[in-house]
Parts: sequence; C-alpha cells; structure tokens
Amino acid sequence: MSKSKKSFSFALAMLTALTLVLSACGGGSNSAESDSASGGKDSEKPVNLIWYTIGTPQKDVDKVMAEVSKYTKEKINATVTMKMVDWGDYAQKMQVNVASGEPMDIVFTAAGGFDYVQNARKGAFMELDDLLEKYGQGIKKTIDPAFLEGSKVDGHNYGIPANKELPQQEVWRFNKKLLDKYNFDITKVKSLDSIEPLLKTIKEKEPGVTPFAMDKNYVPYVPYDYVIQNLPMAVKLDTTDYKIVDILETPEMKQALTTMHKYYQAGYIAPEAATTGSTSDLMTSGNWFMDRAQTQPLADNSWSASYGYPVVSSPASDPIITNTSVQGSIMAISANSEHPEKAMEFLNLLNTDPVLRNMVDSGIEGVHYKKVDDKHMENLPESKNYDMPSYSLGNNMLLYLNPNDPDDKWDQFKKFNASGKNSPILSFNFDSTKVATEMAAVQNVKEQFWASLMTGTVDPETYLPKAIAAFKQAGLDKVMAEAQKQLDEWRAANNK
Amino acid sequence: MAAFFKNLLKNKVMLFMVLPGAIWFFFFSYLPLVGTIVAFKQYRFSRDGFWASIFNSKWVGWDNFKFLFSTNDAYTITRNTLLYNIAFIIIGLVLSVAMAVLLSELVGKTMAKIYQTGMFLPYFLSWVIVGYFAFSFLSMDRGMLNQILGWFGAEPVQWYSDPKYWPYILIFVSLWKSVGYNSVVYLASIMGIDKSLYEAAMIDGASKWQQIRNITIPMLSPIIIIMTLLAVGRIFYADFGLFYQVPRDSGTLYSVTNVIDTYVYRGLKTTGEIGMSTAAGLYQSVVGFVLVIVSNFVVRKIDKDSALF
Repeated sequence: MSKSKKSFSFALAMLTALTLVLSACGGGSNSAESDSASGGKDSEKPVNLIWYTIGTPQKDVDKVMAEVSKYTKEKINATVTMKMVDWGDYAQKMQVNVASGEPMDIVFTAAGGFDYVQNARKGAFMELDDLLEKYGQGIKKTIDPAFLEGSKVDGHNYGIPANKELPQQEVWRFNKKLLDKYNFDITKVKSLDSIEPLLKTIKEKEPGVTPFAMDKNYVPYVPYDYVIQNLPMAVKLDTTDYKIVDILETPEMKQALTTMHKYYQAGYIAPEAATTGSTSDLMTSGNWFMDRAQTQPLADNSWSASYGYPVVSSPASDPIITNTSVQGSIMAISANSEHPEKAMEFLNLLNTDPVLRNMVDSGIEGVHYKKVDDKHMENLPESKNYDMPSYSLGNNMLLYLNPNDPDDKWDQFKKFNASGKNSPILSFNFDSTKVATEMAAVQNVKEQFWASLMTGTVDPETYLPKAIAAFKQAGLDKVMAEAQKQLDEWRAANNK
Repeated sequence: MAAFFKNLLKNKVMLFMVLPGAIWFFFFSYLPLVGTIVAFKQYRFSRDGFWASIFNSKWVGWDNFKFLFSTNDAYTITRNTLLYNIAFIIIGLVLSVAMAVLLSELVGKTMAKIYQTGMFLPYFLSWVIVGYFAFSFLSMDRGMLNQILGWFGAEPVQWYSDPKYWPYILIFVSLWKSVGYNSVVYLASIMGIDKSLYEAAMIDGASKWQQIRNITIPMLSPIIIIMTLLAVGRIFYADFGLFYQVPRDSGTLYSVTNVIDTYVYRGLKTTGEIGMSTAAGLYQSVVGFVLVIVSNFVVRKIDKDSALF
C-alpha cells in the first residue's frame, strides 16, 4: 500500500514539474514573438495583415491576394493574407482561434455566425473609436451613419459594418406560376389574416402543393423588436415608455398565433413544420405557393434566378432598422492584432476604393472577370476558382454590376435604406452576464415551446399559458428586469 | 525510491510498450485537466492566448454550476439521463450476450458472418443519418408507419409531437445501433473459451441450454462485468446525437427526450459561456467517477477477481 502511494506521489510530482516546464516554454516563445514584432517596426518594411473571412475556401485566393497585396503595398504599405473558413465551421473555428491567440488582424463577424456583440464583450475584438477617428475618415464619409451607430456595443465601435441594405423588411413571397393561374391580386395582401382566401383556394385546388411553406424558425410578424433574437422579450416599435414586455403576453402575438393554428388545422402548413430545418427541397421542386422572407432591393430577380422560376413578393411589414439588420456583416480588428493601425487603414481603403473592393470580390481583371463598360462586369470561366460571398467583404455599393442588374441598382439600395425607420432599441445590446444561469434555463424553455407555437402546430389556447408559466418559472422575469434596468440606463445615457 | 527504479528496470520492455498509450493519455486526458479551472471562472478572452485568458478571468465560485440545478428541468434531465442509460445498459447487455451466444452456436459459418456484418453496420452510421432513417418511418404524412396504420384503417399518429411513444423508440433505435458492436466483443471471448469444457459437458449428457448456462455465461462473466463497469462510468453522459437528432429536436417531446447534454447545448448555444459548459462536463465526470469507484467496490466485495482495480 505504502509503496503504491509513494509511486503515486512521485508521478504527481513529475506531472507538476512537466506542466511547469511546458507552460514556461509557452510563455517563453510568446515573449520572443512579441519582441521580434516590436523590433520589426521599422517604417519601411511592409506589414502583413491576416484576414479571416467566411465562405467555402476558393482555389485562387492566394493568387488574388498576391495581386491585392501589390496594390495595397503601394497604397498603404501593407500586404494581405486571406484565410477562408467554410460556412458551417466558421463560428466554432474562430472561437478556437480567438481562445488560442492565433495571430489575426481582420476578422469577419456577424449577428449570426461568429457572434459580434458577444465576442466584442468577451474581449475578442479591439475597440476602434480612436482608430476610426484617425484612419477611418473615408469609412465615416461613405457608409450610412446608421450602420456605425447601430453596431456600437456599450457605446463603442468594435467593427466596421458592410454598407449594404440597412433595414429589414418582411415580405410574402409567391410562386408566380400559381399566382397567375388563379389570378390573385397581391397588392391588397399585407397582414397575416389577409392571405387566408389565397391559401384556401390553393389548398382546395392544388392538392400536391404546400400552400404556406415554412421551417421551424418561422415567427409570425408582430410590430415589436426583440431584445435578443427569438427570446420573448421585446419592445413595441412605436413605444414611448421603452417598456420591455413578454411578447407571448401581447394581444398581437396571441392573435397571430391563433391565426397560425387555424391555418395549421386547415392544412395550409406542412404537418411537420415545427421540426423542419429547411424548405429548400420545396423551393427546388416548386411545389409551394407562398412563404415569408426578408427582402432587399431587386430581391425578386435574384430569387427567381436562383430557383429557376419566377417568384414575386409583396410587403408584410415596414422596413425597420434593427440591431440584427445592422450587424449582418461586420469586419472587426482582432484584439491580438500586432498592427491595428494598418488594419484600420486597410479597412478604410477597402470600403472606399472601388479598385480594391472589386478585386477582393471578383478577382483579377482579365482572369476572373472582364469589364463590359464603366459600371458593368461579366464573370469569366475562371471565376469558378474565385467565387466569393460579396456581403461579407465590405462596402457593397462600390461593386461593379452584373450584366442583368439595372444601372440604378445601388441608388435603389440607397432609397431603400433611406426608407427604413429606426427601431427604438437600435444599438442597445443586452449584456446577459449577470443572469447567465437564468438565460440557460430560459433558452431551454424557448426551445421547448417556440417552434410548435410559432408554426401553429399547437393550440395557443392551452399552450400559450403553459409556455408563459414555464418561462416565468425559468426566471424570465429576472432576465427582463435586468434588461429593463440596462435599457433605462442606456436611454438616460443616450437621451432617448 | 531505489526499489521503484529497480522495478522500472525489471519491467522495461513492458513499460516501453505501454509508453505510446501513456503519452497519449497524458496529453489528451491528464494535461487538459488543468482546464477544469475554467468551470470556476467567468471566461473572457485575453489577447495573450489561452493561459493568459484563464489567468485573467474572474473567479465566480460555484456560479457556473447553478444553471444545472436551478429549475424543474434539473429533475427531468437527470431522471431521463439516468433511466435511459440504465435501460441501455441492462437491455443492451442481455441482447448483446444473447446475440453473441446465438451467433457462436450457428453451424453455417458463412451465415454467421453475414448476420454479424449486418448487425455491425448500424454502429458505423452517424446519428444524423439514423435520424433520417427514423424520420422515413415516423413522418406524419409520408412515413411508412402511418401508411401501414392506414391499411388497417387506423388514424395516423403525430409521432413527433406525442411524447408517450418516445421512450420505446429511443431505446429501440439505440439498441439497434449498438447491440451488433457489443455482441462482437462477447463473441470474441466466447471463441476463446476452451472447447474441451463443452466436450466434457456433452459426454456427461448436458443439453445445449445447460452448456450455455453453466459454461458460456460463467466464462463470460469477467468481460460482462468490465463492460458494465465501464458503461456505469458514463451513466451521466447521454448520447447527444440520439437525443437530439432522432427526435428532430421537437420541443413537444422534451419531457422524455431532454437529457443533460441536450439541456447544456440548448441553454448555452446562444450565450456561449465556456465556463458553464465546462462546469456541466466536470459535474458529469465527477458523478461518473464516483459511480465507477462505488460499483467497483461492490463488485470487489462480491468477487475480488472480477473487479477492475
């Protein structure tokens, strides 16, 4: 017995010693690295910026970045290395990169994917207020001020949003083939109730068609803005007292859910909507009549093009500028960046210089694309090796137009952006740290009730009170009180 | 100390063979243990990397564990996790051993191989695929089960919104996937049983059933105990894929499908508090550790040779 104890304590001692040695090694190499970095700060030597962005890695990225680097070296004395991380892996991989201190300068982040607000709060991004003032005047001039205002976290900017569509507006989308067949007039359609006669006709006359297509993320539109997406805390859009309410207790939501359940029972909605992850099968087959989606200018054209049959839409809500719509695509500077000034200069150039912006987006002129006239361009066959998601790479309004785009495409965007109304809680970001325990419980209740209520699968008469009680039991009231406290402070600080 | 080194020297060949495994365990199981510190911290990033982040994060004591116990869900998830795992262990054990005995008694060895391979296959499927298999049976409007019910004039069943069927479905699917694999383990040790034992029994006039009961099962008992002890150690871990993918994350089924792992995932996927998920993992492993020690202690009281340690 005593012998085994001895060998155990010896093993433990060895373990401790080894851990010490290993951590010492780690520390040592770190300090050496930063030494060499500060040593190499000579003004002449170009700086290399490492840029992580989302999307399926493209074959020609390095080739294009070599070209980009030539251009940026001349303009701001910096070169660029781009690292693409595939859609599904991005959030997780970036989480690891940040946690392990991987060298990074510029990082793509958004309200979805690799969450902007959360990671800004956790210290993943650098605060940009001073840098923006010093090196980002171009950005401040070109992009809609609502973007910079709306992407503030606790009063500071941590990223540069891409200039693109600003408000979010819900529309009803229709399969035009069926619309024409039955001669429906969609100009009068707007509310959830107004679509009933259309759904009824389709249900009766088109047995193989899903009248109202939706997946489990569907939520009926009500004129509220959510404090956190899909948690039942919301503020009414025309609020004057900035009171946070439980959305499930509002008459609007109750009404909407009752209507949804009526539609569900009438068979307008697929029986398994509450567990359906995506409706892309329906979209491919064309066996659907209508659904709801978020729009942007010229959206009908791009939907029709991607489905291969005509799709038209009609508004289901007013265009509203919310945190989610503003934080759809942001480029941040990593907190561990060695060259934050250069990174900011680069972001400034990217958002103001059409040559650079188009090179990053479409590749090398003459290889990946060719210019048709001064506004339009055409992809060449090589573009399949450099097919980038435009939305994630900075100012969209500098992009050359595709052959089918109307000349005034970006003017239409500007008009759309100007039509948006600010949500009352635009740029208020709830910090849930103090109520993290309750948040975990509330999230679970949400997962349990949300999809089946929102898709109309269950009867709100019995399930709504159950859901409300479950949320209360999980501590929603405490979370709401904390949110209200923060909102009131925010209101006082911002003179709302 | 001298005795220790002498011992080391004496067993150097054996120890050398253990070395790769030991190194693996050191790096992937022991070194990360330091990270359990995160369970007691409010983890925030620091620009100087992981160690600095841990060092600079705020101590929060037991706060990270609170969410596991704060609501009624705590009872549901603990009950579901434990009961399902107990069912999997007991039914799985009985079925796997039965299958192994049956396979070993088959005369046609080609057929035995075919059965074995057929049963083995589901083990290699991912839960996402198994989830879609189940969906093709249970879909409300296109599922096979509802069509069969239709032939008998019965009403279609809303499988994904009625919790009462799910304990059976989950146990069935889990066993379908795991029994084939486990039976191979038992089959291998049946193959290792000395054939002369059976010959002697046959000469004494023992029937097949008597041979199985008095030779096969007793000879299998050490491996049965080891496999069960190992399973008991993971009794607080639920198979995430089984409980998340197979019921298609349907909210109305949570009363019978919510387990510790899915609860943690759903609760933290939006806030992403690393500290809280580490706390959940630590809680699961500590309980598993205690259970293994206790059950091993019990086994040792009964039969010293069968115990793990």
